[in-house]
Amino acid sequence: MTETTTRRQSLWSKAAWKLRRDRFGMLGLAVVAAYFLAAVGVWLGLWATGWGDVAGGKWEAPSAAHWFGTNLIGQDIFQRSIYSISTAFEIGLVVAVLSTLLGAVLGAVAGFFSGRATDELVVWLMGVLDSIPFYLLVAAIAFALEGNPWSMHVAMISTFWITTARLVRGEVIKLKGLEFVEAAHAIGVPEYTIIFRHILPNTFHILLVQSTITFVAAIKSEVILSFLGLGVKDGMSWGLMISESTFEVLAGFFNNFLAASVLMFGLVMAFSIFSDALQDALDPRQVS
Amino acid sequence: MRSLKILTDCRSPLLALLLASLAACGGGEPRAGNTAPGSSAGLKVYRHSMDESPTSLDPVQASNVYANHVLINAYDTLFSYQYLARPYVLKPNLAAGWPDISADTLTYTIRLKPGVHFIDDPCFPDGKGREVVAADVVYSLKRHFDPATRPQGAWLWQGRIVGLDAWKEAGSNYDQEVEGLRALDDHTLQITLVKPYPQLLDTLAQGYSSVVPREAVEHYGREFGIRPVGSGPFKLVSYDTARIVMDRNPDFRQEPVDLAAEGYDPATQGEYGLEQIQGRSPPFIDRLEFQFIADASARWNSFTKGDEAQYTTIPNEQIDRVLSSKHPITLKPEYADKYFYYAGTEAGFIFQTWNLLDPEFGYNEDPERQRRNKALRCAVIKSFDWPARNDSFYGGIGTVFPGIIPPVVPEFDPDLSRDSVTRDVAGARRLLEDNGWTASNLPVLTFGTTANVLNRLMFEQFRAWLKDIGYPPEKVVLKQYATFGDISKAWKQAELPWVVKGWGLDYPDAENTLQLFYGPNSSPGSNDSNWRDAEYDALYEQASVMLPSPERTAIYRRMNERMIEECLSATGLSRTRIHLWHKDVIALPDREIVGGFFLKYVDLKD
Repeated sequence: MTETTTRRQSLWSKAAWKLRRDRFGMLGLAVVAAYFLAAVGVWLGLWATGWGDVAGGKWEAPSAAHWFGTNLIGQDIFQRSIYSISTAFEIGLVVAVLSTLLGAVLGAVAGFFSGRATDELVVWLMGVLDSIPFYLLVAAIAFALEGNPWSMHVAMISTFWITTARLVRGEVIKLKGLEFVEAAHAIGVPEYTIIFRHILPNTFHILLVQSTITFVAAIKSEVILSFLGLGVKDGMSWGLMISESTFEVLAGFFNNFLAASVLMFGLVMAFSIFSDALQDALDPRQVS
Repeated sequence: MRSLKILTDCRSPLLALLLASLAACGGGEPRAGNTAPGSSAGLKVYRHSMDESPTSLDPVQASNVYANHVLINAYDTLFSYQYLARPYVLKPNLAAGWPDISADTLTYTIRLKPGVHFIDDPCFPDGKGREVVAADVVYSLKRHFDPATRPQGAWLWQGRIVGLDAWKEAGSNYDQEVEGLRALDDHTLQITLVKPYPQLLDTLAQGYSSVVPREAVEHYGREFGIRPVGSGPFKLVSYDTARIVMDRNPDFRQEPVDLAAEGYDPATQGEYGLEQIQGRSPPFIDRLEFQFIADASARWNSFTKGDEAQYTTIPNEQIDRVLSSKHPITLKPEYADKYFYYAGTEAGFIFQTWNLLDPEFGYNEDPERQRRNKALRCAVIKSFDWPARNDSFYGGIGTVFPGIIPPVVPEFDPDLSRDSVTRDVAGARRLLEDNGWTASNLPVLTFGTTANVLNRLMFEQFRAWLKDIGYPPEKVVLKQYATFGDISKAWKQAELPWVVKGWGLDYPDAENTLQLFYGPNSSPGSNDSNWRDAEYDALYEQASVMLPSPERTAIYRRMNERMIEECLSATGLSRTRIHLWHKDVIALPDREIVGGFFLKYVDLKD
């Protein structure tokens, strides 16, 4: 036997190997990477810097100067579409990271202390927040924060953590009965060390998948909220572009609508495919 | 009646029973959507669409065009405007004729038409409407000075009528007489003014001055706002935020139409079939329906569907699709075949004004900074691209004019320099540079607006223009307000440095726009600029007691120039409204000045 075949493969290396073999998953990742590159370019000021400029006439058709044409006031739709990618990533990343972090911590604590007051408090909080209609909650938070540009983020994070927490709680309840946790207890490891150093790392596959799902949900929610006037306050987003298009389509002008819809569809679809592939790759039942 | 025909054709007894039940539930009401307009249930029904609904039908709260449209058809006013005359011309309405005016123009004696009755209503003894008398007019005007009614129109008569303000100060006791507002007998009213008020008769044509019976106000209390009891051509049947239904008042006084007296011009109005109402007494329709449809595309669809709304204005986004020419305005044949149209410049304008109470842009303790602020204001105004604003948001058919005297009033000056509405980027940059303004020391400019996508685009367009003159985009920030009420409150409290708004004339006199910059009208009054200028204020006070004359026009124009000199406002643009109505409707619709007077004269072809 060679050394390679005798070395025990970890869950992560098996998942990575499986993911690389998933052609659709890798295609999704490539598309997401391309979008991300576009977003980084916007953040670095390399392109789409003139998204707010009035660069042409009203509702100009696509041309060499304006690839996707211009909007009602003569702004370049292509630049606005590209700029919106950075908005989508900014919101997706912030919401996905923070809501996953919050869900992981609260879910792990609740799961570890299941049946005790801490668990009941977290479960009660999840139930209460779940019972409030999402858009009503966003409107309430936006009102409470008096138009603060972060109100949309706060609203999303305060609801999106719940699913992650439920999943993590369930997983932790399962894990805390295993031998390695009992061993940690036996040698006197403090409870919070057990939770965060020994149990939580074993839920990373859930967190990874859940964060990609949250990322996509955040992008879609942002578009809907911006369309409704509850989302992006300053800057540009696909939701705002679609909102602009509501009266433009009546005049027979579809460029804003098409540009925003197609780009959003591409990113959401690619991320969903990638997320699916990741879920398959990290599923312990399939990996082993 | 189509619903009955379906019933008789029906083969299934169960279905017939169901349909009969539905028909019974309908209570014989005309149905929109399944019957041709004007022929519902044998009634003549006219369906008028508007973009918003009134919040109250109490005349003391008739502060917008939507309320006025309904009110002046439920109530009577002493005066109104001729149906077809443009520019607008007053005429007696509930008044029997023109008033007797004393030599010093301070005392007006107005006689009311005898035999005019309020509609039958439970508020009256035996439910029978009584005669309208001069005491009702006195009572109706007093209500504007009673804080308990939450009045919005007191400004029309504040400081104008002898003893009225004092009556309010004394506690608004309706049984206490006001020296300058008296009913001499049942049919004679006398108004005594503090000083000459040339616009007094115009104020008596407003929805605010609708004549209400005291019995109804006391009987219905807070519900009076949804239960109008008047003597107008129509009476209310139902009222909600989507629809108001009014039926013809069968007891409305008989006053045959004299088209010549209404300002009819066969050359320009001949095609509308208006001759058919000559010599007949309005109202001609059995039912008047207001449909309130906020979304322009839904309103347009309702109109073009054919059997719903019979009137609309063309939404801006449809202008290029519907018009074959903008100058002059003509419809494409497929629309001209189906609809009548009338294009008119609005009696009002849109403008944006600096709030001088903001030390960053207006008055400042440091005289040098105040001087530089004026240069900054002038530079921003120079950056304003009115043709682009007109093209983007008003279909390119609005009228851009300098100052605040709009084209619709007789005092408009067509020869006034257009420099203040001509974009001059180089000049703006030079002004900033000469006065020490740089990208780093320019103050943050907050652009307040209600939260909707068009207003947001207006902001982005403005920000882009400012970028052209060197104003950093990050220093031009958007502040959105959920409702018009919210931003209106911000204006009243002088919170925003830059006020973007429109003004609709209450009466066809430039005084109504010039008061927007009169010092004593500062916030929370109508003067959002909070400008106080000795020369302007003195000229306003001088002109406010003058009758229309070349001298008064000269004063108005000087005030206009003075306002422009101070760089107070990027102004202005009067929108062109294109009214469309079905060809079976005999009417000349309008929504300017008070709006809605024409509805009394609407008829439908048989």
